Amino acid sequence: MMAAILRRPAPLCALISFAVILAVWQAAVDFGFVKAFFISSPSRVAFELVRQVKNGELAANLSVTLYEFIIGLAFAVLIGGLLGLLASWSETVQHILDPFIWFKYSSPTIAFYPMFVAWLGLGEATIIVMAFLFAVTPIYANTLSGIKNTDPDLIRAAISFGARRHDLFFKVSLPASAPILIAGLRLAVGRALTGVVAAELFGAAAGLGYSMSYYGQKLRTTEMMASLIVIIILGVIFTQALAALEARVGAWRTGPGR
Amino acid sequence: MTEKATQGRLEISDLSITYRKPRSDEVFTAVEGVSLTIEKGSFVTIVGSSGCGKSTLLLAMAGLIPKASGAIALDGQEVTKPGPDRAMVFQDASLLPWRTVHGNVRFALELQRWKRDDIDERAMRYVRMVGLGAFADYHPHQLSGGMRQRVNIARALCVDPDVLLMDEPFGALDAQTREVMCDELLRIWERDKKTAIFVTHAIDEAIFLGDRVVVMGRNPGHIRDVIEIDLPRPRTNAMLDSPAFVDYRRRLREYIAADLAALQMVEAIV
Ligand SMILES: Nc1ncnc2c1ncn2[C@@H]1O[C@H](COP(=O)(O)OP(=O)(O)O)[C@@H](O)[C@H]1O
Ligand SMILES: [Mg+2]
Repeated sequence: MMAAILRRPAPLCALISFAVILAVWQAAVDFGFVKAFFISSPSRVAFELVRQVKNGELAANLSVTLYEFIIGLAFAVLIGGLLGLLASWSETVQHILDPFIWFKYSSPTIAFYPMFVAWLGLGEATIIVMAFLFAVTPIYANTLSGIKNTDPDLIRAAISFGARRHDLFFKVSLPASAPILIAGLRLAVGRALTGVVAAELFGAAAGLGYSMSYYGQKLRTTEMMASLIVIIILGVIFTQALAALEARVGAWRTGPGR
Repeated sequence: MTEKATQGRLEISDLSITYRKPRSDEVFTAVEGVSLTIEKGSFVTIVGSSGCGKSTLLLAMAGLIPKASGAIALDGQEVTKPGPDRAMVFQDASLLPWRTVHGNVRFALELQRWKRDDIDERAMRYVRMVGLGAFADYHPHQLSGGMRQRVNIARALCVDPDVLLMDEPFGALDAQTREVMCDELLRIWERDKKTAIFVTHAIDEAIFLGDRVVVMGRNPGHIRDVIEIDLPRPRTNAMLDSPAFVDYRRRLREYIAADLAALQMVEAIV
C-alpha cells in the first residue's frame, strides 16, 4: 500500500503542496490574519486529536462510524452484487430493476433520509440504511456491466473447449470483470462513508459525523476539525488501498507485467 | 502415455446455414448446399474472398452454430455441439489476458476435466512443443503476435483432438512471421497427422499447407472447386517456386480475380 503510493508519479510534489497548505494555514492564524475561531490551526487540531486519543473519545466515535460504515457497505456489496449478477444473466431482471436505478441515479440519495427517519427513527438503523443506499448503485452497475460485457471471443473460445455455465462464470466472466468489480467497490467505499457521515450529522448519539455536528453547533472549531481530519484520513486510506488493489488485479489489462 | 488411435473423418453433406437478420424475422443464407468429405489425417485448406462463409462453415464443424439443413458427421457421429474430438485455433484475441502462457494452455485441459495430477505437466509439454518453454510465465500482452498464435495452437493440441479447426490463425501476422508459423504448423502436424482444416485468404499459404484446397464463392456461400495439391511432403520453401506450385497459384488466382470482377460488376450496377 505504502509502496504503491510512493511508486505513483511525483508523490513528492503532492507531499510538498500538502505541507505548504498546512504551513500557510498555521501561519495565517499565528500571524493574526485570520482568527483561530474560524479555521482553527494545524497545531491546535493536532493537540485536540492527542487529547481525544488519550481520553478515548476518538476511539468511541471512530468505532461507531466504522461499524455503521462496514455493515452498510457489506449489505451494499451483498445485495448490489447479487442483483447485478441476476440482471447480467436475465434481461427481464435487468428491465425490472432499471427504473429503480434511474431513480437512484437522477435523485440525490440524501433526499431519502427523512423517509427512513420516519420509518426507523434517528440513529444506527437509519445511518446504516443511508450508507447502503449511497453505496449500492456503483456495486450493482459495475457488477452488471462487468459480467454482461465479457469479451464474446473469450466466451466462444471457452465454449469451444466444452466450458459449462459455471466454468464460463468462474473462469471467464468473473476474472475478466475483476478490475471493474473492484472499481465499483472503490466508488462504493467513498459513497458509503459519505452516507454514514451525512446521516450522523443529522441525527446520531455517537460517531465522527455526530461529533462534528455537536462541536459545530457549539462553535468549537478545533474539535470539529479534528473529527473532519479523521474522516478525510479514513476516506483516503480506503480508496487508496482499493486503487492499489485495482492496479494489481488489472495489471494484465495494460500493465508492464513482470 | 498412449495417444488414442487417430480418428477424424468428417463428412459434410448438403449443409446450409442461415443467420437471423437483426431486428427482423428474415433469414440470411450464409452457406448453402455444401458437401465435402475430409479424410482422417488429411490437411484441407479453405480459401475464398471475405464474407463467403468460411468462418461460418468452420464454426458449424466446431458445433458452435446450428445447421439450417444438411448434416455434419465426424466418424459417423452427428456434430451438434462442441466436443473433445475437435479443437479450434482462434485469432489471438481469444487468449485469457489474465492467465500466463502455461495457464492458457492449462485452461483447455481444465475445461475438459483432465486428471489433475498430470494437467500441469501436460500443459507444459505443449508449451515447450510450440517453442515457448522460456515464456511459460509470460502473459499474452507480453508476447508478439506470432508467439500468441503458438499459444493458441498449443491450447488446441493439448486436449488431443481428432480434428484441428483453424480460422485464419495467422491472419494478423506479418508475412515473414506467417511463413515461419506455417513451417512450424506443418512440423507439428507431421508428428501425429491429426485431421486439419485451415481457413485462410492467402493463396500461397493454402497451397503450401494443404493436401486439398477448397475454393469457396459467395452469395450465398458455396464450394466452387476442390483442388488436389500434388506436392510431396514434407513441404519446403523451395517448392514455392516449383512449376507445379506456380500452376496451382495461377489457377487459384483466376478464381479470386473472377470473384473480384463479379463484385465490381455488382458495384457498378448498384
Ligand atoms: N452472427 C452473424 N449474424 C448474421 N450474419 C452473419 C453472422 N456471422 C456472419 N454473418 C454473415 O454471413 C456471411 C459469411 O460470413 P463469414 O462466415 O464470417 O465469412 P468469411 O469468414 O468467409 O469472411 C457474411 O455475409 C456475414 O455478414
Ligand atoms: Mg472469417
